[in-house]
Amino acid sequence: MEIQTLQAEPRTPHGSRAAQRLRRRGKVPAVIYGHQQAPETILVDQHALVGCLEDGAHVVTIALDGKTETCLLKDVQYDHLGIAPLHVDFARIDLTEKVRVRVALELRGTAKGQSEGGIVIQQLMDLDIECLATAIPDSIRVPINDLALDQILHVRELVLPEGVRAVADPEAIVAICREPHVQAAPTEAPAEAAAATEPEVIARGKIEEEGEAEGEKS
Amino acid sequence: MAMMPARVKFRKQQRGKMKGNATRGNYVSYGDYGLQSLEAGWVTGRQIEAGRVATTHFLRREGRVIVRIFPHKSVSGKPLEVRMGTGKGEPEFWTAVVKPGTILFEVGGVSEDIARAALQRVAHKMPVRCRFVKRRHVVG
Repeated sequence: MEIQTLQAEPRTPHGSRAAQRLRRRGKVPAVIYGHQQAPETILVDQHALVGCLEDGAHVVTIALDGKTETCLLKDVQYDHLGIAPLHVDFARIDLTEKVRVRVALELRGTAKGQSEGGIVIQQLMDLDIECLATAIPDSIRVPINDLALDQILHVRELVLPEGVRAVADPEAIVAICREPHVQAAPTEAPAEAAAATEPEVIARGKIEEEGEAEGEKS
Repeated sequence: MAMMPARVKFRKQQRGKMKGNATRGNYVSYGDYGLQSLEAGWVTGRQIEAGRVATTHFLRREGRVIVRIFPHKSVSGKPLEVRMGTGKGEPEFWTAVVKPGTILFEVGGVSEDIARAALQRVAHKMPVRCRFVKRRHVVG
């Protein structure tokens, strides 16, 4: 994927109120750190940033004060609705170095177990991988055609692209094919359950016992 | 039967405030698609159960339905034609306190069109305005 360039400006007024003013102007506060250099607080254009995020970019070039730096999109904070980015972390990287990133796992195909009445449940949605910064895959496609009923697909069984190594727990479960849970037909409800229209109060028994004890004393 | 806690320390609660936005439980965690609240409000145990039944019925037991909220709060009320005073009323129902951004329901294992149609049915049963959201893959 082609590395996109984000125009950035240095951010001088710091603090939450200054950041709010910037966001109202269509800018997003951000920070660049890493490679044992001093962190720099910057601001980037919200529209350009959202474009990068929608394209699924992991590595971007930050143009700041006439110089450019290659950075990894390390973290993005969103608002409460998950629509607008509030703050972005960029980590300085070298294009020849290996980086650790999280990419999406996509299950492809129809599992063998599905024809036998099973359903496929994806347990792991993203995978932590280590690879060259120039070779970060958009997503990892996992063919599940051979997944039989009651079979589990682990991280260690994944076939990853060349140069990509999984750093997640090899025993972690990616997907499982199992029979759907069928709700048991309602049998005769016990009398207690039928009468339970209110939850049990934890402290009630203790208070009653104490009250009785006090009554006996007097 | 409407959802309610199994055990509580106190039967009656004060009404409380619903200020601010959701800072947790505000993104799709378990399924692929979700229903997000756009307003603050109380969602009763009956409404949650109605939503769950509507989705499960529409999906015909395909895929997975995850309910992300639970009615932890009791709401008390006085019976009709009773004079004010003589103490707080008895608990009438249980509600979940929902803030803007809270994910109410999630659906997984089905296509987007089916999930959208299923969650649309749930949205009609909710007392708050809702929107359909997709899982966002984590950056970094």
